[in-house]
Amino acid sequence: MLSNPKHFKFRFLIGLLLTAFLQTACSSVPETQLTDQRDPYEGVNRGSFAFNMGLDKHVLEPAASTYKNTMPKTGQRAIENHLNWTGLPSTTLNSTLQGRYENATLAFLHFAVNSLTLGLAELTEDPKAVNSQDFGQTLTHLNVPEGNFLMVPFLGPNTSRSLTGNVVDTMTNPMSFLKAGDTAQTMQSLRPAVAAVSFRSKMSEALNDIKYNSLDPYARTRSLYYQSRAGRINAVVGKPNNNQTNDDEFESFFEDPS
Amino acid sequence: MIYVHKGETGLTKTRTWRTCVLNFCVFIALFLSIPAQASSQVEAANRLIRNLVGDVENYLLADSGDISKRTENITKLLDTHFDIPGIARFSAGPYWRAANEEERFTYTQSIREALIGTIARNFDQLVGLRFSLIDSQAKGKRMVLVRGIFRDKAGQRPPVSVGWRVITPHPAPAKVLDVEIENISMLITQKQENIAIIRKNGGRFSALIQAMKQRQQTQ
Repeated sequence: MLSNPKHFKFRFLIGLLLTAFLQTACSSVPETQLTDQRDPYEGVNRGSFAFNMGLDKHVLEPAASTYKNTMPKTGQRAIENHLNWTGLPSTTLNSTLQGRYENATLAFLHFAVNSLTLGLAELTEDPKAVNSQDFGQTLTHLNVPEGNFLMVPFLGPNTSRSLTGNVVDTMTNPMSFLKAGDTAQTMQSLRPAVAAVSFRSKMSEALNDIKYNSLDPYARTRSLYYQSRAGRINAVVGKPNNNQTNDDEFESFFEDPS
Repeated sequence: MIYVHKGETGLTKTRTWRTCVLNFCVFIALFLSIPAQASSQVEAANRLIRNLVGDVENYLLADSGDISKRTENITKLLDTHFDIPGIARFSAGPYWRAANEEERFTYTQSIREALIGTIARNFDQLVGLRFSLIDSQAKGKRMVLVRGIFRDKAGQRPPVSVGWRVITPHPAPAKVLDVEIENISMLITQKQENIAIIRKNGGRFSALIQAMKQRQQTQ
């Protein structure tokens, strides 16, 4: 079963959904003990975070360090380009669903042109012209509530909405329908692991700072995730109704006389 | 009676006219002063950031890797350009109100030490970067968001967008309250982490101070 990448992907998705289900099924922390109102499953989430930290310590950090020190810069750049390229079909689809046809067209054109090199080399003039879009953002656009905070084993911080978005994006990505044995399919199967190592390597200073210098790495990760996600959503979809921006936080600070 | 009435009407008309002119002048004065105030507020914030970046560049040029000298420079930088009491009050969140004077003082000292440590640890990352100011926007009467970008002169690292939240308490000098990197506020992150620690410890502010002291001892 595991030798077939499609079956593996199916099992992976089932695993993801089960994790989400288990997380929501577990008893939540009493409200008085919550460190953040958006995180009612903090106890379970902290357990998942400890698991992810162990994984980082024993697998990801050493792998990222080796990758950073041995892979030439051009190679790292090519891998990053390829990872961005594989996300373009999802951007095309989600931009269309959100009615952002210009971005959808741009994403499609960039995908088509760069497919000549499997995305390893950027043949288009300005790759940053495309605003990366995922199904989580589409759900925000449709006013779907954010849901609770979930720390997912292997995948890291999410909300119910963004996790659903990740699952849908993986399932609807046309790259997943490629025949087994294709070079592109092999690359696509390796994508999650390569993306994790590349991201860990790129963000090594910031992530190590959280890991080794933070008072509460879990709370810090949660805060960074929410801010980064809100920034991404606000920039493209607009300010969601239920999302407090940084400006709001500072306004309430100035209103408080203490 | 008619004459008096006429006279009163004339007087009332004159008074009304004067009031109208006065109101108009006040309105114009206010209307003109708001943008003028906002513009001086923005100017003060921009000046502060230019000075801060200039000081950082000078310290980087003079930096020989001597940790004590670096720490001394960073302390000077922080005390001159940053609003440490404001940072302390903001990052303690609602628990600032419950803390006593001694706790407030100890916490302010601890957060200052923590900031110095964080900047000293990451100071090397600023080498080879050039800052360009993009725009500045007044956020109410007391704050300006100065946005800019750090670019690697060698082009090896991607550009990083930075936002400085500057408080402008005229006539007191402008000071930096927060730094946002790629839309992530350092101060909000610190506040949320601090709140988590206090709540995990049954709402005791002293638990946060204790945790900070322990962290400083291990670093």
